[in-house]
Amino acid sequence: MEDALRKKAKELLEKGEVRVVIGFGWNRARSRTTPVFITRPEDTDRLVFNPLCVNNLSVYLTRKFKDIQALGRPAIVAKGCDIKNIVVLIAEAQLKREDVFIIGVACNGVVYKQEVWAGGLRPGLMPTKCHNCDVRDPHVADAVIGDTSDFRPPENPTGFVFDRIRDIDSRDSAGKWGFWITEFSKCIKCYACRQVCSLCYCERCITEKNMPQWIETSAHPRGNLSWNLTRAMHLVGRCTFCGECERACPVNIPLNVINQKLALVVKDSFGYRSGYDEKEHPPMIVFSPEDKENFIK
Amino acid sequence: MAKAIKKGDIERLIEATAKNNGRFVAPKKAGTQVFYNEVGSLSEICFDHILPENSYKEYVFPQTEVVAEFKVRRQDIELKGVQPDSRDTIIFGVRPCEAAALGSLNAVFTWDYVDGFFTKRRRDLTVISIACTRGDNECFCTTVGLSPESRAGSDIFLRETEDNAYIAEPQTEKGSLLMARNPGAFKDADTERNVKKLFFPEKIDGIDIEGISNRLKEKSHYNEALWAELTRKCIGCGACTYVCPTCHCFDIIDEGTAYEGERRKNWDSCQFDHFTLHASGHNPRDAQYKRWRNRFMCKFNFYPEKFASKGCVGCGRCIRVCPVRLDITEVMEAFSKD
Amino acid sequence: MDNIYLPHLATIEDIYEEAPDVRSFRLIFKDEKFRDSFEFKAGQFGLYSAFGLGESTFCIASPPTRKGYIQCTFRTAGRVTTGLAGLSIGDTVGFRGPYGNFFPVDEWKGRDIVFVAGGIGLPPVRSVIWNCLDRRGDFGNITIVYGAKTPEDVIYKNELKHWEERSDVRVIKTVDPGGETPEWDGKVGLVPNALKEAAPCSKNAVSVICGPPIMIKFTLMALSEAGFKDEAAYTTLENKMKCGVGKCGRCNVGDVYICKEGPVYTAAEIKKMYNDF
Repeated sequence: MEDALRKKAKELLEKGEVRVVIGFGWNRARSRTTPVFITRPEDTDRLVFNPLCVNNLSVYLTRKFKDIQALGRPAIVAKGCDIKNIVVLIAEAQLKREDVFIIGVACNGVVYKQEVWAGGLRPGLMPTKCHNCDVRDPHVADAVIGDTSDFRPPENPTGFVFDRIRDIDSRDSAGKWGFWITEFSKCIKCYACRQVCSLCYCERCITEKNMPQWIETSAHPRGNLSWNLTRAMHLVGRCTFCGECERACPVNIPLNVINQKLALVVKDSFGYRSGYDEKEHPPMIVFSPEDKENFIK
Repeated sequence: MAKAIKKGDIERLIEATAKNNGRFVAPKKAGTQVFYNEVGSLSEICFDHILPENSYKEYVFPQTEVVAEFKVRRQDIELKGVQPDSRDTIIFGVRPCEAAALGSLNAVFTWDYVDGFFTKRRRDLTVISIACTRGDNECFCTTVGLSPESRAGSDIFLRETEDNAYIAEPQTEKGSLLMARNPGAFKDADTERNVKKLFFPEKIDGIDIEGISNRLKEKSHYNEALWAELTRKCIGCGACTYVCPTCHCFDIIDEGTAYEGERRKNWDSCQFDHFTLHASGHNPRDAQYKRWRNRFMCKFNFYPEKFASKGCVGCGRCIRVCPVRLDITEVMEAFSKD
Repeated sequence: MDNIYLPHLATIEDIYEEAPDVRSFRLIFKDEKFRDSFEFKAGQFGLYSAFGLGESTFCIASPPTRKGYIQCTFRTAGRVTTGLAGLSIGDTVGFRGPYGNFFPVDEWKGRDIVFVAGGIGLPPVRSVIWNCLDRRGDFGNITIVYGAKTPEDVIYKNELKHWEERSDVRVIKTVDPGGETPEWDGKVGLVPNALKEAAPCSKNAVSVICGPPIMIKFTLMALSEAGFKDEAAYTTLENKMKCGVGKCGRCNVGDVYICKEGPVYTAAEIKKMYNDF
């Protein structure tokens, strides 16, 4: 599979179809994968794909990375779940479909975090998204590498995150509040969740806007609550549950739980799942005469 | 003089600390992670960790602290300076790499103007470090000139024995005093018995600290394309700086209502794009590689040249925590070459 | 404990509208003892608080030879300056300082001085100008070249007029091409060009420059061409600061901490620094 990937990348660079291939490579010790930016055909041998390729590289397609944009048209190595984010970026006019060459990689799941890898992938090491994945065969791509998967996701979503949501849903409001206050209190305001997220592409995040100061920047419970809730709300109907924010969080705040919960709410209320159709706009940014709420009419 | 302390007798130390109205901080499990946290008994301490996720710098330099309070009284302001809410703190189970970082922080917070918030907490802190018997691939203390036996910054230095005890060597007056005050915990013993083998991370071959230092002194490195190439994947979060035991950048902000509020000193990160952004829109470090270059230079040029102290102690936290696995040792290697 | 982050309180005694979005405060420290003992040197800066909004850094625009008050001049740009601009006479602000190094005015005795400033860069230069004018006999010829975008943007309008009227000061004022109005009685053109035209004698002369980075760059080139030595060309660098005392890690240009080793540098020193400001 890696051979096919390298061959495709080489061909794209040689023909000049793209100027850079954004993909995965090994670190020095070959113990972890890390994003690489290949600009020369002879360097394409550095590209790898394996269950350690957890990163959602679509973040590098956003305007936060002007120096990468300056390199020229990119090709990106993307798993189905990563492609969902590219789809949202296109739907939100951050990117034109023709401006990126998507090298979709067929995927049998990745690890939750690279640190848990001990040389073999088993379901227990995989994040909830992989257990319910319906895009193991990339759904939007210019080329697909790898064999078709015969995996079919379960009818009802399963996994740790959904169990946790059911558990929190069953609590009374004080119980829910207590859970989240405790979790958010750990926040150190490093903003890794925001920076790693391809859908947090604002050039000036609301937490950096200080006239007025919408969010207190101090890492005290009040400031942490307002930051984490505000970010969650800004992702409603957009978040694809790629899980990068939780993976990046140095203090393990269960951001997947809050984001997936909101995704479920959006699905129930609007029948919408983000990341599947680049022509469809997320429900929170469109107006329709059929909207059932009165306040908007 | 060296003594021995049994693991079980650490309980006595915890009790004595509580009795003196102090707090005892040690590595403590929280979910699947380990953090430095206050503990009330021996059973809460996690002994089999390599390094807690957080640096213990927050006990001398908290994430957020109030420096002043104010009330608006018509045209007047009622302004009150705040004292740090610090008390005697024993921090147990620090690794030698991190202990060495305390001197670096001290240099920044006391050159010329003295930050009393830092010095008060520093005075109240007693550091008990433990030589490492375990490590991981990210540890690189030996590469930056430290080792599991480094004693800098420790008040008491412990080495683990095969029979569930530690050999305790006082390093400072403060350490000696603590040992003398707790004879029930620190006892005379044969101090060279069964000391466990220490874990020495392999020195990374391609890295030459002196070479990096010389390279950074030559201003020609500044505009090299290498900086952008090596750090292109950096996403500009502050995780590396917040877990780093020597990173000291902060912000000063006001919080409150139109009538009263407080002035706070908050951790800040040189990796954030608005860190150096002027109100006019001008930004001297307007690209991520420039911010990364600044951090790297802070570690290997500003700290050693300006403050005669270590900027990087090789704890490896920034590597473990980086969401895109930007490994500082790979950059060090690149800048070790001519 | 000595709290280095605790500001002194000062009352706004007077406010001067200098130009659109630019105003000056005349500040009197509330604490009498501090007021009496307060000393600074031209070029030093302070951190000014609008309580509830934060602190902002500007130079002290009044000369050290005038005791009992300080003046600051700022342009409304961000959160703190907007807050400061909303204050009235009698209101209270905070002040920390004086911080940083200064223009070595005492070393300039007997020498000619050329002041070059652009836009909002005049306040730090003003402190030096008045410092020198208050001891006029100590110095040789004094030339002031000042430029703004438009006549409306000229700050310290009355003082410029006063300096123009003095026989012992030469003033060249200019506005950017296209910014001139029919009433404008100065030159039209960029500051470095106005400086070249004025052609002040470089022999035994010192220059003091402040303005936008691009103006500083071309002014230094013009001065160098005119024979001014880099060691005798002084400027003040402004960078974002939070602590002002060498701790917060923000203002450094490479290994140089502006708040501690600066903000005043000679062109010779700047040439040795990283080109990163």
